[in-house]
Amino acid sequence: MLLSFIAYLSIFLFVGISVYKAYKFAKMPLHGRMELYPVPKEKGFEHGGSFYEEVSWWSKPHEVSHFREIMEMMKEILFIKKLFENQRPFWWISYALHLGIYLLMAWTMLLVVGATTELNGIFVAANSPSIWGLLIYYLTFVTGICGLVLGTLGAGLLFLRRMFDSTLKKYTTPQEYFNLLLLFAALFSGIITWGSDLSFSTARDVTANLITFTNFDATGLQIINIILVGIMLTYIPISKMSHYVGKYFTFHTVLWDNSPNVKGSAVEQKVKKATSYKPTTSWSAPHIKGPSAPK
Amino acid sequence: MINQKDLLPKDMGRSDEQLIKLEVDQLMPLLAPYDKPGMEPAMTDPKPAWKEKFCTSLDGYVGIDTLIRPKSKEEEDEFVRKFLSGLEKIFSDANNGVLEPLLLTFEYCAKCNTCSDACHIYTATGNNELYRPIYRSEVLRKIMKKYFTKSGKLLGNFVGADIDVNWETIARLGELAYRCNLCRRCAQTCPLGLDNSLLTKEIRKIFSQEMGIAPTPLHTKGSMLQIKTGSSTGLSKPAFLDTLEFLEEDTEERFGIKFKFPVDKKGADILVLHNAGEFIAWPENPVAFALLFEEAGLNWTLSSEIMGYDSVNYGLWYDDFQAKKIALMQMKVAKDFGVNRLVVAECGHAHKASMVVGDRMAYGDAKIPVESCLPLLWDMVKNKRLKLDPSKNNFPVTLHDPCNVVRQLGIVEPQRNVLKAICPQFREMTPHGVDNYCCGGGSGFAIMNSQNFPQFRDSVASRVKFNQILGAFKDTIEDPSIPKYVCAPCSNCKGAMRSIFEHYDATEKFNLQYGGLVELMVNALVSMKKPYLEFLDKE
Repeated sequence: MLLSFIAYLSIFLFVGISVYKAYKFAKMPLHGRMELYPVPKEKGFEHGGSFYEEVSWWSKPHEVSHFREIMEMMKEILFIKKLFENQRPFWWISYALHLGIYLLMAWTMLLVVGATTELNGIFVAANSPSIWGLLIYYLTFVTGICGLVLGTLGAGLLFLRRMFDSTLKKYTTPQEYFNLLLLFAALFSGIITWGSDLSFSTARDVTANLITFTNFDATGLQIINIILVGIMLTYIPISKMSHYVGKYFTFHTVLWDNSPNVKGSAVEQKVKKATSYKPTTSWSAPHIKGPSAPK
Repeated sequence: MINQKDLLPKDMGRSDEQLIKLEVDQLMPLLAPYDKPGMEPAMTDPKPAWKEKFCTSLDGYVGIDTLIRPKSKEEEDEFVRKFLSGLEKIFSDANNGVLEPLLLTFEYCAKCNTCSDACHIYTATGNNELYRPIYRSEVLRKIMKKYFTKSGKLLGNFVGADIDVNWETIARLGELAYRCNLCRRCAQTCPLGLDNSLLTKEIRKIFSQEMGIAPTPLHTKGSMLQIKTGSSTGLSKPAFLDTLEFLEEDTEERFGIKFKFPVDKKGADILVLHNAGEFIAWPENPVAFALLFEEAGLNWTLSSEIMGYDSVNYGLWYDDFQAKKIALMQMKVAKDFGVNRLVVAECGHAHKASMVVGDRMAYGDAKIPVESCLPLLWDMVKNKRLKLDPSKNNFPVTLHDPCNVVRQLGIVEPQRNVLKAICPQFREMTPHGVDNYCCGGGSGFAIMNSQNFPQFRDSVASRVKFNQILGAFKDTIEDPSIPKYVCAPCSNCKGAMRSIFEHYDATEKFNLQYGGLVELMVNALVSMKKPYLEFLDKE
């Protein structure tokens, strides 16, 4: 029961804190424009162009492709494109960690689906007569093994690289080593705990017990792994490892914003609201007189 | 002094006289013909008197000539107190317009170091640790954590709050904020979309907006002078009108062309806003605009109203308050004038100031549409509103892309389309377009000439650009009989070109020339009886 509570609570905190952070960023005051080209949604994306390349741009429709923006965002999210293009050696280990985490998220969901499937009487195994059972089995098998290996390898190698790279170690704080160690510990404990049964039927059984709040005799390793994963899930959103939240805003609302303040636009309304705000804090230099920005 | 390879962010608080010293042989090598010994002036030491008065303890250069050493412990404490007060304010509602991007950059840097290779200053110094983009950012983060975060107060070194904060730390950080051109090339490569130049500018803002400290050319003789007289050049309305009259007479005398600048013309469609520095340093540029616009039959005018004849806005580089004040004053002049649109001439930061930064400072009827001159110029060429003869420009030409115009506004094609149409020997630099490198004059460097700062600008900040230029002209560089033209459609960039060509004696030795886009266009006009470009006329 306690392990079920830890599992549910940590997932709830992970999602809840992440959403809260996203909400806080979404509600922040309107900022000045800081686009950086190429902006994917712009018609001239291929050469880095914008609507400003047109004469009398304000009198023409602003053609944008949200599909292209989503595609570029997906390339960043799924493949860490910028790191791949600009720092390939680092990309290999960083991507191993990120891909490992994505696969482990899929693995966890597959364990839940598999457990639910078995609770409904469908056998999930390599010799299952059900196609669904077979599909879940093999997907769980592949995502589990790849996820655990890649994630653990990525976290470990990132830690070592930071330790021994003469540049990176100058900028790495003890907390940042701790972050990677926590990830490594949680993932490595996963390998030790679940790696002895690569059919993951034990993991599925434990998952079934966890999601149904059923008491079971957890092994010491299982307890350690569940607690470590719980701590990791709770810690990630309160640390800077929550960059998965920030990254959306840095790209979507800052670098790729590109919404000019033209008459009648939604931005105009936001500007109107922002300019009427009176700051409670003011600057003190002699050339700045009065409590707020110039009217 | 410390070996730069061992330099740590927390070393900014050390009591050393100077953290590092740059030497020519440690800098990135230059391409031929500047790869031979003796082709480059040596780096010099700061004068002893400067060490007494300014902060030379970073790298020996003085960027902030108003940053004066304290005379007492009280002054030092007050200096630190004010900085910390400003640091707290950048995270308050006094800084709403930047708050979200600032917090994102402050919070999420993964220190993957991808930004370093994108930085032309870091590259130019031979990868000197002091100029690594995240070095400066980390110092700021450490101070912030130490004083203003619970984690920093409780956990100290564990979260990186391990820096001594004294006059030297803060003053060095202020100087280091003027070792970055704010070109944002590093942000382009960041996997998390973070922007080190944003933190750099915040440091400059704290110094100016809270401590009242900013380089004289940017503040006292820059934005303050502009607010007072209408132009950062100090050009008053009568002087401006006199200058125009002189240029009309001079053009008639030199080229036999009689024309008049339309000034304060009622019912004009376009108000053209020049960087007023052009009228003084490169008057051939506004004259070229006038000749082209007249030939194309545009209904345009200049303004002689205060704030109506100078497009610059130095506030962009160091002080949001000044930036807003100037942008709003310029906007009002244009609005009161009653034109349909405002066209920004060849000035990169003025493009950014009026089209992007100023975009959200007002709304509704307080605004008028603003556009760049570059699409308009291409439109004139494309639609054959000008009779042009490209053979008149039959010499090697390359294009320098001003960061503000390409990377920050996405205006990439029009200017190169013009060059492709009128310059048979046009060639691109590598890299170019949105991936360009800064000229080294960005964010105020081009006009910062106090103490030994020009040496840092010319030898370091402009170094990668100079190599790009040498690379673009590698086929003809050693033949001084062939003029080689760097087209830089931006006043600030032209200022940087002027400085580096002087620094390396490149015009004298190798016939390297620079100028804007419109000068090349006028030179190609069929109606021109003699070359418009002076260096062609000499031959």
